[in-house]
Amino acid sequence: MIVGLLLALIAGALVSLQNIFNSKVNEQAGTWTTTTIVLGMGFLASFGIGLLLEGKHLFSLANMQPWYWLSGIIGVGVVISLVQGIRLLGPTYAISIVLTSQLGFALLWDSLGWFGLEQVPFTSKQLFGVLVIIAGVIVFKVGGGRAVQKAS
Amino acid sequence: MKGSFFAFIGGAFITLQGVANSRISQDIGTWQTATLTQLTGFITALCILLVVRDGKRLGLKRVQPLYLAGGALAAVIIFGNVTAIHQIGATLTISAILIAQLSLTFFIDSNGWFGVAKQRMRLPHFIGIGLMIMGVVILRL
Repeated sequence: MIVGLLLALIAGALVSLQNIFNSKVNEQAGTWTTTTIVLGMGFLASFGIGLLLEGKHLFSLANMQPWYWLSGIIGVGVVISLVQGIRLLGPTYAISIVLTSQLGFALLWDSLGWFGLEQVPFTSKQLFGVLVIIAGVIVFKVGGGRAVQKAS
Repeated sequence: MKGSFFAFIGGAFITLQGVANSRISQDIGTWQTATLTQLTGFITALCILLVVRDGKRLGLKRVQPLYLAGGALAAVIIFGNVTAIHQIGATLTISAILIAQLSLTFFIDSNGWFGVAKQRMRLPHFIGIGLMIMGVVILRL
């Protein structure tokens, strides 16, 4: 439990760093050059660490299902959706919706137990918790956003 | 309306990616999953780049190498994301990720690190993070 929470917090902190670095590349190079570089670097790093930790075992894909090959394309869908959303709505509202949707779908898939997730029964407590988090996201993004834009 | 739809689908994709990776890693292993999904994503993005050619590739020379290497963080992000979903489920994982993500982004903004425009911390930011943490506590009660 604590390990899982800690790993999620580390992942979130790194997402924040990565977003900042990626936007620096994006300013100079455009969306698709950036996306290609980001995913290429991600591949090299995963491949390197995987090889280091697992050796030849990294290449044993015994239980491989055909659709696993397609999963990486979801990441490209993320980029397209986010770029369009931000272009049409501006970052504050677009990201508020993105984060809300992320949480909503997490709750949905936990409740349904899809993708081999351990089913977490849907309760009013779960719903209330997620709604409070979403309220936090909106207060943070929308309440904190405007003066920030003026200040910069 | 169209913008909201894109943002909504974008969020769904991010969560889908996490749970799909966590499913795949049960079969082939976590590092195998990270390597495979980044490789297929890279190939797809490269194909799109070759078609749309939106790149100002000369601009890359002006980017600090550190920023170009940012993508490498994905290895650890995917590992953390997948392992956390196995252990505590998608809802709690995504919640914790968002709290850490928004807090650190805000900390970096308020210090103006990495050349980002300096921004002052304001009350709504603290209330927002406070509410998010409260929500996680409610989920775990």
